Amino acid sequence: MDPKLTEVNQMFARFKAALARNDLNTCEILLSQLKVQLTKFPSLPPLFQQTPNAVEELKLARDIYEHAVVLSVKLEDQDAFERDFCQLKPYYMDTCGIIPPSPEEYPILGLNLLRLLVQNRIAEFHTELELLPVKALEHPCIKHAVEFEQSFMEGAYNRVLSARQAVPHETYVYFMDLLAKTIRDEIAGCSEKGYDSLSISDAKQMLMFNSDQELHQYITEEHPEWEIKNGFVFFQKAKESQPCKEIPSLQLINQTLSYARELERIV
Amino acid sequence: MAAAAVTVSSAGSLLAMLQETAPELKLHALASLNSLVSTFWPEISSNIMDIESLSEDGEFDQRQLASLLASKVFFYLGDQASALPAALAAGPLFDVSDDSDYTQTLLAKALDDYAAEASEGPEKVNQIDPRLKAIVETMLDKCISDGKYQQAMGMAVECRRLDKLKLAISQCDNIHGALSYCINLSHQYVNHREYRCEILRCLTGISLACENPDFQSICQCFMFLNGPEHVATILNGLLIASEDDALLAYQIAFDLVENENQAFVLDVRNHLDAMRASGSTEPSDQTVIAATEPSGDVQMTDDATMPSPIRVDPNDVAQADRLTKMKGILSGETSIQLTLQFLSDLLILKTIKQSVETRNSVCHSATICANAIMHAGTTVDTFLRENLEWLGRATNWAKFSATAGLGVIHRGHLQQGRALMAPYLPSDGAVGSASPYSEGGALYALGLIHANHGEGIKQFLRESLRNTNNEVVQHGACLGLGLAALGTADEEICEDIKNILYTDSAVAGEAAGIGMGLLMVGTASEKATEMLAYAHDTQHEKIIRGLALGIALTVYGREEEADTLIEQMTRDQDPILRYGGMYALALAYRGTANNKAIHQLLHFAVSDVSDDVRRTAVLSLGFVLYNEPEQTPKIVSLLSESYNPHVRYGAALAVGISCAGTGSSEAISLLEPLMSDVVDFVRQGALIAMAMVMIQTNESYDSRAGTFRRQLEKIILDKHEDTMSKMGAILASGILDAGGRNVTIKLKSKSKHDKLTAVIGLAVFTQFWYWYPLTYFISLAFSPTALIGLNSDLKVPKFEFLSNAKPSLFDYPKPTTQQTTAASVKLPAAILSTYAKSKSRAKKAESKAQEIAESKAQEKAAAPSSEEASAASTSMQVDVTAEKKAPEPEPTFQILSNPARVLPAQEKFIKFLQGSRYEPVSAAASGFVILRDLKPEEPEELVLNDGPSTAAATNASATPAPAAMAVDEEPQPPPAFEYTS
Repeated sequence: MDPKLTEVNQMFARFKAALARNDLNTCEILLSQLKVQLTKFPSLPPLFQQTPNAVEELKLARDIYEHAVVLSVKLEDQDAFERDFCQLKPYYMDTCGIIPPSPEEYPILGLNLLRLLVQNRIAEFHTELELLPVKALEHPCIKHAVEFEQSFMEGAYNRVLSARQAVPHETYVYFMDLLAKTIRDEIAGCSEKGYDSLSISDAKQMLMFNSDQELHQYITEEHPEWEIKNGFVFFQKAKESQPCKEIPSLQLINQTLSYARELERIV
Repeated sequence: MAAAAVTVSSAGSLLAMLQETAPELKLHALASLNSLVSTFWPEISSNIMDIESLSEDGEFDQRQLASLLASKVFFYLGDQASALPAALAAGPLFDVSDDSDYTQTLLAKALDDYAAEASEGPEKVNQIDPRLKAIVETMLDKCISDGKYQQAMGMAVECRRLDKLKLAISQCDNIHGALSYCINLSHQYVNHREYRCEILRCLTGISLACENPDFQSICQCFMFLNGPEHVATILNGLLIASEDDALLAYQIAFDLVENENQAFVLDVRNHLDAMRASGSTEPSDQTVIAATEPSGDVQMTDDATMPSPIRVDPNDVAQADRLTKMKGILSGETSIQLTLQFLSDLLILKTIKQSVETRNSVCHSATICANAIMHAGTTVDTFLRENLEWLGRATNWAKFSATAGLGVIHRGHLQQGRALMAPYLPSDGAVGSASPYSEGGALYALGLIHANHGEGIKQFLRESLRNTNNEVVQHGACLGLGLAALGTADEEICEDIKNILYTDSAVAGEAAGIGMGLLMVGTASEKATEMLAYAHDTQHEKIIRGLALGIALTVYGREEEADTLIEQMTRDQDPILRYGGMYALALAYRGTANNKAIHQLLHFAVSDVSDDVRRTAVLSLGFVLYNEPEQTPKIVSLLSESYNPHVRYGAALAVGISCAGTGSSEAISLLEPLMSDVVDFVRQGALIAMAMVMIQTNESYDSRAGTFRRQLEKIILDKHEDTMSKMGAILASGILDAGGRNVTIKLKSKSKHDKLTAVIGLAVFTQFWYWYPLTYFISLAFSPTALIGLNSDLKVPKFEFLSNAKPSLFDYPKPTTQQTTAASVKLPAAILSTYAKSKSRAKKAESKAQEIAESKAQEKAAAPSSEEASAASTSMQVDVTAEKKAPEPEPTFQILSNPARVLPAQEKFIKFLQGSRYEPVSAAASGFVILRDLKPEEPEELVLNDGPSTAAATNASATPAPAAMAVDEEPQPPPAFEYTS
């Protein structure tokens, strides 16, 4: 076997060991070394040269990036997740026919869908979904994310939150937590539009806070324009700040009509 | 294997890798992206900010790669302005020798940028990005080392890199070719006059330094650069060298004279004199003659100052003789003399003037004018002689015109000019019996005779100007002086004319304004500002108009130098000054096809409030575009359909001016509808323009020429036609047969330089709109269409050459008599009666006989089987038999004898015969060609000096009837005659 490949394999073994014992710092260092090593294999994307070890190398690289994605979740680093996932993607999309599909493929794709939901990037979510084959939608991980999105869109936020208990994969928990925050923002936006004011207890319930303090903190951090007075939260100020222009429709219509009439006369 | 086709479907992974912290990964990502950019640039473009920030990151050691990638993405995005700086930042990674679209496009962009910046002036050149400079230099060097010299020269010229230009030329194996290419290049594509001069200076420097300098083109360059002393040096050097070199010198001199730049040619002559004088002061030092002449020249130009004079052996009579000849040529006398002989030799028809003559007196003066133009330079005034009584009907200004017309007829008759005009000239001191109108006209006529060669007559005209208080005489004298001293910027004359101007008399002031302009042509002198100031002061529109035109004349050919003045004039409140501004634009940018000037003119043509300004703006386009006559019809075609008749008129004349003498089919198509315009003066303009375009075109070249002639005839005879268009038709028939059908309107000399006098002449001619006597200025634009071979004695030897085209293609148009006969079948009886009348006017029985013979001969040519030829008179017998012997199908070539009529369109068919005794010094096939005698030991046979009969005989073979007519009628010098009022 190619010495370079052996070396990478060994390094990867060490990485896995570190990951298993949750030594995340070591993992990070090893991972970046691994990635650098991978750039030296010409069989990997984007070159796809047909070296004798191509299949082995591709498999190994895919494995490494899958682990990198998992690691990023553990590190709770969304940017790293996106980066690693993007780098992993060619192995899923472009290598069919060279190496067999990975068992981790659908969980990771589902995870990515979830991430997009969390980041409220709905358009990209659907793009990704379209790229998947029909049978993939049957997979529990994907299905989970799709159902999620549907509830999210319907506004059935409680269903979303309750789904947290039924995660198909242990890595999903992190994103589910983040999702709560996304949902809260949505609710806050809706209440602002829907109500002039809300009592503090109602607001607390609506925004799924356990204590008044949490609510206060949230308001000062995210919505400083809200006002808390006499046990009520007032949204008025935010509304006023929006410029409200009345369209002078009647005047415009009259003008246009008179122009048209005069034009006819001229011609 | 399927895997072979595997490629990535997205650059997302690489872009993600770019975000990694490890520099190796970034590098890998960049390198991969760089190779995939052509496919994935849309994806990469969304991350362009990241890539750019990488390229600007001082920490990152692969900045150049990032820059290259960014540059490529910008290129694909179509943002070349951003791509170029990025590519420059990529440094050595941007491979100039690459063949890809990307590289080629960016290189082109780099060159464009560099050229654009360089053109803003020398101080700007230093501010150009050194990296850009490096790239351009690499490109130039590469072109030179690859042997693509023309490319390199073009680029160097455009980028203002004269050092590289020099390098390219010196590396080139064909230096002469390269030089002439560059000269062409600089005249055609370099818009900035100053820079063009710089290039030409550089080129002349190079060409003088090389082994066998091409003195002809060098001298042309020096003429453009206005370096008479250099030309004088070269000519002097050639004169004192071998016989062959002297021939070359003569040829150069003829070429210079052809450009009609009087001031320059005079300067050359004076310098030659000065050289000779300084040579004779040191007769002892005789050894330093131009044995090492080329090297001497090198030194001269290297320090670009007046060189130490090459000493002429004063005892060498041959050289002195050569110098005299040279001076004769330079003064223009030799060429005028020769041309005169040639023209008078080939006079044709007199019948046309009868049919042109109108029975009513409305177009009387137009007819006189047409007659003058028709016989410009031929000295044939028989028409006037025979119709003295009729002529006497001209009164006042008409008389002025009539007298001035004599000047056109006798144009170039330098020796006898004054004697001819004597009866009309004001006699010294006392007021003669003649009216002031004929006196003024005579002075104007003298100016026309001596136009551009006025050395001898200046003094007389000045005196006449001083001795009179009559404004009509002053008018004539001012015009005459202006013409005679064209472009000499003579201070004294200027003062004289200025005094007239300040008398503030409308009639004299107008002429004074024009006269000053003529005097100062192309000098861009301070006087222009003075004139402008006076134009603001005076109340007389006539004076303002005269001054406006005069100011325009002063900036002739100065291009961007004139911009300030043009700006001043075009922004003026007074429409007449704006009108002058249009002329200034036209003349400053004559024949340059400068985009800026065209743009400005078009702007005024559609937006000015004054019709006069708009008309002139359109008309001026003709002047700016005469170098590219094929462009003009396209540019003015829309304007020719304008609702404004003035604009249509301008469009017609613009085409007429720029396509003059070309017979261009597009031009004719554009003018045809205008000839039947609803407005009379548009018809007039169209007719005149058409005549200018069709001058010397016969029916076998373009069938519309015949139609046009018939149409003119119809208009002239039609009683219901407007006077305006009738006048146009009369003038048009004059122009059509101008100069005895032996001249054309030519605004460019054969060396592609502009002919100053011709352009000025046409510009003033267009003023006839306001002042009919100015019509005569068109005679300045005429140049004889002849090929005259000269030997070393400047005599015309017997010499034959080949014209590789059907003779009928360039033959004289058929005489009018015959046309009338043909037309009489179809046309109403009125025309027949005119014909009969015109016949009866031809009183001499002899000439009548000739007419019959002539028409017979023509019919013979058309249908040789006809037997009527036997009726021909005995004088015609030889020619007719010659005609009979001619083969039935028309030959595809003809042998022409020196001197011969060679039309501009015919020039490309002219071949000099191999094995002939004479060999031309230069290859040009028109004008004066100096011939080298290959067998000097044999006695020479001269043509012209043997007397007219020989000339006629030689010419007869080409043009049977008219030449024969000339034999009997022509040679006696015309005695003076006078008509009484």
